[in-house]
Amino acid sequence: MFIHRSSCISPQHTFGNVDMDTCVIPENNILKVIEPKYAGIPLNILRRMGKAVRLGVGAALPLLTGSEKPDGVIIGSANGGMEDCVKFLNQIIEYEEGRLTPTNFVQSTPNAIAAQIGLTTSNTGFNITHIHRGLAFENALLNAIIMLRENKNASYLVGGVDEVSSYNYNLERLDGWYKKEKVTGTDLYDSSTEGSIAGEGSAMFIVGNRREGSFMEVRGIRMLHTDDPFEVSTQLREFIAEHGYHDAFLSGENGDVRIQSFYNSCENILDPEIVKLHFKHFTGEHPSTTALALWLAVRFIETQQIPEHFIKGPAISKPLKNILIYNTGKGEQHSFLSLSFVDH
Amino acid sequence: MDRDQLTTELKQHIIKYLNLLEKTPADIIDDQPLFGDGLGLDSIDSIELVVLLEREYGIKINDPKDGRKIFTSIITMVDYIIANRTK
Amino acid sequence: MGRVVVTGMGVISALGDSVLSNHDALVKGTCGISKGDLVRSKYTDNLLFGEVKIENERFKSLFNTKNPGVTRTSLLALHAIEEAIKDSGLDNTQLSTYDTALIGASTVGGMCQTDELYNDAKSETTGSVYMASYDCASVTLFLRERFGIKGVINTINTACSSSANAIMYGAQLIQNGFAKRAIVGGVDSLAKFTINGFNSLGILSPGYCKPFDKDRNGLNLGEGAAFMVLEREEDVKGKKYYCSVAGYCNANDAFHPSSLSENGEGPYQAMKGALQKANLLPSSIGFINTHGTGTENNDEVESKAMIRIFENVPPFASSKSKIGHTLGASAAVEAVFSILALHHGEVYPGLNFSNCIESTMLIPVRNTENKKLDHVMSNSFGFGGNCTSLIFSKD
Repeated sequence: MFIHRSSCISPQHTFGNVDMDTCVIPENNILKVIEPKYAGIPLNILRRMGKAVRLGVGAALPLLTGSEKPDGVIIGSANGGMEDCVKFLNQIIEYEEGRLTPTNFVQSTPNAIAAQIGLTTSNTGFNITHIHRGLAFENALLNAIIMLRENKNASYLVGGVDEVSSYNYNLERLDGWYKKEKVTGTDLYDSSTEGSIAGEGSAMFIVGNRREGSFMEVRGIRMLHTDDPFEVSTQLREFIAEHGYHDAFLSGENGDVRIQSFYNSCENILDPEIVKLHFKHFTGEHPSTTALALWLAVRFIETQQIPEHFIKGPAISKPLKNILIYNTGKGEQHSFLSLSFVDH
Repeated sequence: MDRDQLTTELKQHIIKYLNLLEKTPADIIDDQPLFGDGLGLDSIDSIELVVLLEREYGIKINDPKDGRKIFTSIITMVDYIIANRTK
Repeated sequence: MGRVVVTGMGVISALGDSVLSNHDALVKGTCGISKGDLVRSKYTDNLLFGEVKIENERFKSLFNTKNPGVTRTSLLALHAIEEAIKDSGLDNTQLSTYDTALIGASTVGGMCQTDELYNDAKSETTGSVYMASYDCASVTLFLRERFGIKGVINTINTACSSSANAIMYGAQLIQNGFAKRAIVGGVDSLAKFTINGFNSLGILSPGYCKPFDKDRNGLNLGEGAAFMVLEREEDVKGKKYYCSVAGYCNANDAFHPSSLSENGEGPYQAMKGALQKANLLPSSIGFINTHGTGTENNDEVESKAMIRIFENVPPFASSKSKIGHTLGASAAVEAVFSILALHHGEVYPGLNFSNCIESTMLIPVRNTENKKLDHVMSNSFGFGGNCTSLIFSKD
């Protein structure tokens, strides 16, 4: 599967004027998105959209200009429109199940993102939303791979979106997933405490079977449910054997001491000269970070510019061509992606 | 509260309930159709307006379809509120 | 690509807690809709529901579930998937290989615990036992752990067509070599959250829903779960199977967040695409299990779309007149009903119908009848314009 175009709205300068060198610092350990002006969304439609829907539609629209009309929209989002969900919940309780306004309910469903993308672009093709927590986006990618096998001349918009809302932030916080001590950037990786930092964002891609016009091929994807680091590294070995050499490893390590063993067990089986990169200081932690990691990988390969703050080591001595992404947020769901530079 | 004040207040409520971005009461013309080509509201908005009438003015409309006549314009809404408000 | 066949089914609905009891009720034309006894909401006494009359505590003791954070949604799903797995004869070794997939679907997830969710969302210090159980993925993850399933695991939410897409995705995984077998299905439980959500849209019927009737006035909400085991035909030589998943298509109406376009473009494209995938003419379809919610919008639009596709609309009926609208479970539960019709050579009636819609003049099946069927279609059209059509075929 080839990636033709990509777009990303995140807590960093990844949309519009892209600036990968500057790192926005988390506030109270939360990295909130920098929302653009959403020029392409009519005000009448924008007024109803919750944040997740805005992020999804906002990142998708630049990819859908001109003659680009994909054959479908495939989205992964673990939580969908959480803030709208909470607003509706509040109405239920505060008005004691009396007469309530429906917009929050309609906008809260996770499929509202894909639905609104379809609606604003009059796309009557395939439309689906995967919500499988930390593997929602990965399932969306796999779904795209399958649809492209069945429809050889098609192209699809595939993306991942998740928002930080007061509700899911609170639940995750109560459940111990965020650090208590302040994090300002790459110091995230030096900590030996539990938890990470919260993040949110949206990354969208146009994918197809054509090599022309593409810089990046998705060679393979594998998903895993396990709490055993040895099983993860065993599966990774098999995955690498299947997809060949990689010269970079983009790691989803997130500073959570409980999860580090998974990342260590994977790094330990890699050749030492493979360049190790990390990104969660840039994106924060949320269920759809693999989507942002994929956007970063595409950007790195296309520009061959990788700011220092992403690099764990060793130093980069030659152009990077093949990137392996490994991500787990909570040590229960894991994914590997093998990506390869398309030589023209 | 006189009619003008009520009209402005109603417009402020409508802007808030329907989240009409970048609109002020001055932008909403009193006799402009609220649905279709005028302000461009739709069926979900009419449900929201029913809730607005109940929460802000204590007026219960049992069948949302009755609402469409009341919601023709700001003028018809203000007339209805003056005649039926319980708050 | 070889055929994908259905080797096991499990279902629980307002009609019964097994495939057998549901089949019995379908043949008898039983209505499972009643006042709510278990669901906690202001509307329990004045609205009707397709409720499963089994309390959570009974499910918990039946399944010996120790985790206090298990929700009703997970329990209903467990009930149905157990039956499906047993029916298919899959053993533990097969369940725990990397080529067995599990694809679930739900729109409510753990939000059936509406009050607890409200409290947890606001709590400063401690959370309830349900904290990790609110999202829809928690249901699939609960099942995954219970059965040790190791292949592709996923949860889909496309509103009312969620489990149709789960069935489609499972079939696609098998046909494209990403799984050898897939356990697919969906579940939803009655919840204060959804009752109020649908009520705010003004589409709940004050009485019994009347799908395709000119005086229809809304839907009844229901709950339930259904799972089926899909396998490659080449792997099941000698094993019984019900039918093949012959066709599927997902299309979008792209008109409005919560209602369908007047000419039903989404439903039309979905049905057309499913027929194309199955390589069938419309005249091959012997029975349609319609989406048929009983709302003014859906039934008229769905009728128009059927008329556009079928020169002569085949016998059709809405299962929702018997079990209510089970949301994320509806497509899977109704797929089981469609397969039962195909397997037994029967068509089941749509209830509460008196007079047809004037603009389309379509009349659903009125009484259970024997009818030789080769291909059955089942349709689901959800919020967000998410439309999916499935076709099941006998040999």
